[in-house]
Amino acid sequence: MVSDSVAANWDPAFLGLFLVLFAAVAAFAKVFPQGNRHWWTLFAWLAVLVAAAMLLRDGWTRRLLLDAGAFVAVALVWNPGTPEAARAARTYLALLIVSMICLTGGMLWIREGVNPPLSSWNQAVVGLLVIGFGLKLALVPFYFWLPGVAAAATPMTTVLIVSVVDMAAFSDLAHLRVTAPWVFAHGRSLWLAVALLSMFGGALLALAQRDLKRMLAFSTIDDMGYLLLGVATGPGIGLSGALLGALGHALSKLLLFGAVGMAEARLGRPLTLDSRGQAARCPVSGAAFIVGALGIIGVPPTFGFVGRWRLYLAGAEYGGGALVLAMALATSLALLYYARAIHRVWLGTVADTTLPREPRLATITLSVLMILVVTLGMFPGVVIGHLP
Amino acid sequence: MVTLAAVPLAALMLGVILELLLGRFLRPHAKGWLAFGSGLTALAGALALLPTIAAGGVTDGTLFAWDKGAPLRYHVDGLSLVFTLMATGIGTAILLYCVHYMEHEHEGTTRFYALMLTFMAGLVNLVCSADLLLAYLSWEVIGLCSYFLVGFWYKDPAASEGARKVLVMTHLPGYALLAAILLLYSGTGTFLWTDPAVRQSFTGGFFLLMLVAAMAKSVMFPLHTWIPEAMQAPTPVSALLHSACYVKAGVYLVARMYSLAAWPTSWNTLVIALGCVTMLVGALFALIQADLKRLLAFSTISQLGYIITGLGLGTDLGIAAGIFYCASHGLFKGTLFLCAGVVQHATGTRDLTRLGGLAARLPHTARLWLVASAAIIGVPLTNGFVAKWLLYSAALDAGQMLVVLIAWLVSVFSSFYIIKATVAVFYGELPPWLQERHIEEAAPSMRVGMGILAALCLLFGIAPQLLMNWVVTPAVRSLAFTGAGHVSWLGIPTGPAGLVGAVAVAVVLAAVLVGLGLYGLMKRPGPEPVGLFTGGDPLPVSDSVVDVADFVGPVAETFAPAYRLTDPDPFYLAVWERLRDLVGRLDRILTPLLEGHPLWATVAGGAAVLAVMWAF
Repeated sequence: MVSDSVAANWDPAFLGLFLVLFAAVAAFAKVFPQGNRHWWTLFAWLAVLVAAAMLLRDGWTRRLLLDAGAFVAVALVWNPGTPEAARAARTYLALLIVSMICLTGGMLWIREGVNPPLSSWNQAVVGLLVIGFGLKLALVPFYFWLPGVAAAATPMTTVLIVSVVDMAAFSDLAHLRVTAPWVFAHGRSLWLAVALLSMFGGALLALAQRDLKRMLAFSTIDDMGYLLLGVATGPGIGLSGALLGALGHALSKLLLFGAVGMAEARLGRPLTLDSRGQAARCPVSGAAFIVGALGIIGVPPTFGFVGRWRLYLAGAEYGGGALVLAMALATSLALLYYARAIHRVWLGTVADTTLPREPRLATITLSVLMILVVTLGMFPGVVIGHLP
Repeated sequence: MVTLAAVPLAALMLGVILELLLGRFLRPHAKGWLAFGSGLTALAGALALLPTIAAGGVTDGTLFAWDKGAPLRYHVDGLSLVFTLMATGIGTAILLYCVHYMEHEHEGTTRFYALMLTFMAGLVNLVCSADLLLAYLSWEVIGLCSYFLVGFWYKDPAASEGARKVLVMTHLPGYALLAAILLLYSGTGTFLWTDPAVRQSFTGGFFLLMLVAAMAKSVMFPLHTWIPEAMQAPTPVSALLHSACYVKAGVYLVARMYSLAAWPTSWNTLVIALGCVTMLVGALFALIQADLKRLLAFSTISQLGYIITGLGLGTDLGIAAGIFYCASHGLFKGTLFLCAGVVQHATGTRDLTRLGGLAARLPHTARLWLVASAAIIGVPLTNGFVAKWLLYSAALDAGQMLVVLIAWLVSVFSSFYIIKATVAVFYGELPPWLQERHIEEAAPSMRVGMGILAALCLLFGIAPQLLMNWVVTPAVRSLAFTGAGHVSWLGIPTGPAGLVGAVAVAVVLAAVLVGLGLYGLMKRPGPEPVGLFTGGDPLPVSDSVVDVADFVGPVAETFAPAYRLTDPDPFYLAVWERLRDLVGRLDRILTPLLEGHPLWATVAGGAAVLAVMWAF
């Protein structure tokens, strides 16, 4: 057994980020209601459970709290009460239960040992962990719940799932990378295959979407592929790239869903590729979407680049030019679908610009997040010091 | 000393911060002066480095720790200084021009000035950084600045689409640069290009990766098609993009690769070939443009071909020619764009078929345009002549006769399209629709901005040794070449080929003087349109004037096969459409199958994972 305290160095950074996210989500939800009064209760529960989990170092209690948080997230998805929301929540719940069974089984077997148990079942255990994390993090080929949830749930609920619940689960995966490295050494090809499938599958399917929230869901799958690749090629530059990438992902996704949520609330219908010129109606949302997209793609000087170059370097060190080329190709696809979304949905002319100004609290929230994404990208040393 | 080297960057970034903080309280006019002040301070900082660098010195030092293992470390040598001076010098002149040009914009001027200053800061940081990762960061920062500035009028669909093309076509090849840097790091353990380990590990693969990135930035064929679409930007942006801060980043990278490795002949051949094709394609497309800014954009492609060819020659004189050409191009292309901006500002159009006779209404602008036009054509007394002269001499010395022939042919084409634009805009009669319009000459600050650049075109044409000895030669030496040769007044080489050069220049000057004399002796032509002899009955009055359409049509017809062959856009479009079809089919199959039956899909996926684990 390895003491978890060695591996827990990044938890304060994640906790700090989650607190920022909770504040931003609350501010946003105050302006644009995300559900009935139960939504706020569930949100509070989710915040408490995740924050408590990030404070704890004991593996099982922490996992229990995070799983409880995931169940609260299911309830948040259900909250709007529409048939689509109910269906998405049921799917999410069912797959979450399968994921928990796989992960619990796998964790019980390995008991986080530095060395693998002397058993011929180790391969199967790694397989269970791949399935469990694959379902929880919506990796290809287990992503089926996420697009439906993104389309049916309210934007801030989706943010809480992809930026908080998923990232907390990812933090758990990163802990496993340190405490039980053999899990990744034994099944490295499988982990890498899932990572590459997620990168390309997510990017290609995102390119096919016309609904912006579904596109963002597939973009999350795409991005999770990079993060998994960092963990799989770790533990050095790959793991730090994955952790920084996760922080950047969480911030950027909040900007993206916040921008879409604000525009949809004002427009009164979902944003699709046919919704032209929205930046003329919602300039701050337009700017937030662009900054969020650049952050997710990893374009300098956003914070996304700080994680992304490490991930590329991990790819270069592990797989040489071929893996770097593959990563660049997947990123190029991401640029294509984000550029299309920016230019078809946000920029260009719009017939009616008579809407009132965007609500002040929401614009301040998005502006602060944009400044954070760029400032952290320009001075990344501020965060690096809190990572192993 | 490193503190002094940081002055340009610090001044520009301080300007950005002040623009953002004070933008809400300042009028556009004041924001313009603030940006100009920042640019001027940055230029002063760059000039302060000149004595040290010209004496062969180098400034090295760490500014601050940007990231773990990647400090912001500067290495300012001769090459860095050329580009720093271009960014801050030409950039500041353009900012002065902006003060009046942008004062009538109703919104976005804070964004505009902050981006312009960041643009300049990005190039300064790129060329001064010893750390390749931070150089890449700057590379992308200037890419983003150009994206946002091209899309400045983002509510205009043409500007928005132009910006999208800029982003996609320049950012994607940028990954080749990032891949090269990271693969180099994984082999050497350092991001510093000044580390000897980098020179030992730099192979052809790295060269090709970096060249791809440079090609997109420096509009080399076939990655050049984004630049005409970037013409939707405000004209000062086009001027900055073409003259100093964007396309020159690729030139810098190509030149800097001489610091990273000793080039084998195959690399030189490849770069020369790219340069020659680029100069030819750019000139061919410039011939058929009827939009003033698009014409200048294609001319940039062509001129960049000259610069890259000079660098590709790989001799002392070739490198000197490339760098001299690069600086000269910045000056005359900046002037031409700013003049085009005045024309657009005054008339509201860039369509050459609708313009004419503006020399009478815009006399100052016309004069400045003529100086810059003469420079781009390569008329003696201008820096363009010296640049071309150096390039031809370098190609002849290197035995590259084909390069000389292509460059000569392209020079002829350049004369055609520039004269076409000059006549179409400034000469002839004012079209009826313009006669009733109030046409305003450029404001004094705009004229000063353009005038400085045009005056430098003449100064470095008459006394090119100033530019050569103080700026170009230190840059050539910083790339491990021994010297750049010597030029004297008017660009006459004083090396072994000096006598031939002197005679040739004397002949050219004599021809110019004879021509002027004859022109003076003859009766001045009247303002009537030029008559056409058709071989029979006269044409209807409306057809009896030779205009741009009469030029463009036959040229387009004559070179039609070449245009089809050298336009890569249909290929890019086909790739995009195939990709879109593919993902559409993928989505139609996968979405109902997997999202419609999530549990079965999970069982299948899980079984596949377990089977893989079992099998391997």
